[in-house]
Amino acid sequence: MSADQRRDAVTAPGFSLNTRKTGSSGWLERPPLDHIVMGVAILAFLIAFPFFNPGYRFLSLAITTGFTAIALYGLALQFGQAGIMSVGHAGIMGIGGYTAAILANQLGIGFWLALPASILLSALAAGLVGLPSLRVGGQHYIIITFCFCALLVIALTNGGDFTGAATGLDVGPIAGPFGINLAKLRNMYYLVMLALVVSLVLTYVIVHSPYGRTLWAIRENEPLARAVGINTNFHKIGVFALSGAFAGAAGILQTYYLRHISPPLYGAFPSLYLALMVMLGGARPLYGPLLGAIIVTFLPEVGGLDPIDSRIAYGVGLLLVILLLPAGVSGGLLGLYRSMIGRQRRAEKG
Amino acid sequence: MDIFLQQLINSLSVASVTILIGMGITLIFGLAGIVNFAHGEFLMVGGMVTWLLVMAGVNFFIAMFGAMAAVGVLGYVAERTLFRFTLNRPMNGFIMSIGLSVILQNVVIKALNEVQKSIPDPIAKVWVIGGVDIIAMRAIVVAITVVVVAITYFGITRSRYGVALRASVSDQDTAALMGIPVRRYVTGVFIYGSVLAGLGGALMIALFPITPFTGSVVIIRGFAVSLIGGLGNVGGAVVGGLVLGLVDALSAQYGYPQWTDAYSLVVMIVILILRPQGLLGGTLGPRAT
Repeated sequence: MSADQRRDAVTAPGFSLNTRKTGSSGWLERPPLDHIVMGVAILAFLIAFPFFNPGYRFLSLAITTGFTAIALYGLALQFGQAGIMSVGHAGIMGIGGYTAAILANQLGIGFWLALPASILLSALAAGLVGLPSLRVGGQHYIIITFCFCALLVIALTNGGDFTGAATGLDVGPIAGPFGINLAKLRNMYYLVMLALVVSLVLTYVIVHSPYGRTLWAIRENEPLARAVGINTNFHKIGVFALSGAFAGAAGILQTYYLRHISPPLYGAFPSLYLALMVMLGGARPLYGPLLGAIIVTFLPEVGGLDPIDSRIAYGVGLLLVILLLPAGVSGGLLGLYRSMIGRQRRAEKG
Repeated sequence: MDIFLQQLINSLSVASVTILIGMGITLIFGLAGIVNFAHGEFLMVGGMVTWLLVMAGVNFFIAMFGAMAAVGVLGYVAERTLFRFTLNRPMNGFIMSIGLSVILQNVVIKALNEVQKSIPDPIAKVWVIGGVDIIAMRAIVVAITVVVVAITYFGITRSRYGVALRASVSDQDTAALMGIPVRRYVTGVFIYGSVLAGLGGALMIALFPITPFTGSVVIIRGFAVSLIGGLGNVGGAVVGGLVLGLVDALSAQYGYPQWTDAYSLVVMIVILILRPQGLLGGTLGPRAT
């Protein structure tokens, strides 16, 4: 697979956050003003959301959006930055979720101690699943990740009492610090949103750090990156592990939000939907994954669609996005925004 | 030993369906350069069309041709409206086909329902040969598959069209300069592969009940078969289908039946990692251009 094709495969160039001035120095550049404004606006909205009295249904949808978006940020890192797509991401989430559930059921370990374990194990699993990508690329690798997901579901279903077989496992509520009751939906919302904001900031930092630039170099021209002394294999596995860590955090949050997990949650189809959301939202713009998660989670509710109709709608949406907006919805919006700004500037210049 | 033989013949009929779908995928993937994840759904649609026709009182074998025609048209429409535009970006085509498979599956659920469908045995006879019971329908499924495989194999390796097709895979530009309508060949291969999926669906519903979710199970086996054999390699698809069929039959009989699906997945992952070009070698899949 040539570097050219890989770039084509991801998005049309020019819409990414990576189109920064080259030759910038310093560990992390200062974010431009419009990024800061956007970030503060989103943060304010996230904090204010429960005060609009959204009701139980919308608040729980918002929580679902939150942990889905966290997993999507991991996938976007892997797909958008390193250029490797996988349809096994729900499986990695499952590793995190089941780690937490098994720790809770076997050893009675609660959320806060299980959190690092889930993140670590998911990162490890993602790194392992990522190993074949060094040898086989493109569609072959996607099929391998698909097989991994299917295998995981079979293993979880046949795991007997340890994994709860087909019925799955239950967990208790999160023991909140300082007497905060996290069984209450609004407090759970704030916990998930905190995690979401952390992963947003982490994504921003990773993309704009020297590490992000290294990944960029690998994605654009792998032989060249290797020639200038970048250990491409190491960094690729690294990005898998990072993406797995996000998925692990998402998995444990999902487990403690649902309080009951079972194998079908982590099969091939949930993975496909995650891939779909990333494509729909756009993998490279910072808010793309969040937008994808919002669209997919809220569309059925807002549009009044039953689950089957909404799945058809996702499918059609995916086709339209690929054919018309290869950079995703957020990429399309970003392009529109930039062309408007450009026109304005040209008008000012006369 | 009798049980083993019976099990073998049964698995041969299951392998036939797998070979048909694997052959469709191997042709479309290896020769047309399109990764169609919705191929399993094409098969499922073929089975559903057969079911509808048989329920309407049509003879099974006529319904089979009906299913082939219907899925062929489906393939034509999909190629013309969707995959045509992503020929240069196989990755995007692949993601699009995932969307297509989600759409087809849910449209079928909406149009019919989620309940499994089955038809009465088209031929309910049992032949006893040397103490081994052979269900007639299963033997017929194997026979049909053998014929189709032979036609496809000789069509690709011996006929003018097959030679032209392989020429356009190995060098698109030169083939086009020699007057081969490359794009039309891509469409043709896509339709042919879809027709095979329709046939596979019809034969499948003659053997077992199917549900709208059958496609997503079958697709993985289909990819396994085509990748094990080598993309674009018809003989490879047959070998791959037989290997998977045998693994299934033997594990169902002698291994742990609840892990049956896992074996083929593991075989596939191992082969993909060790020999990405397939056991028998094939084209390298979608062209980079």
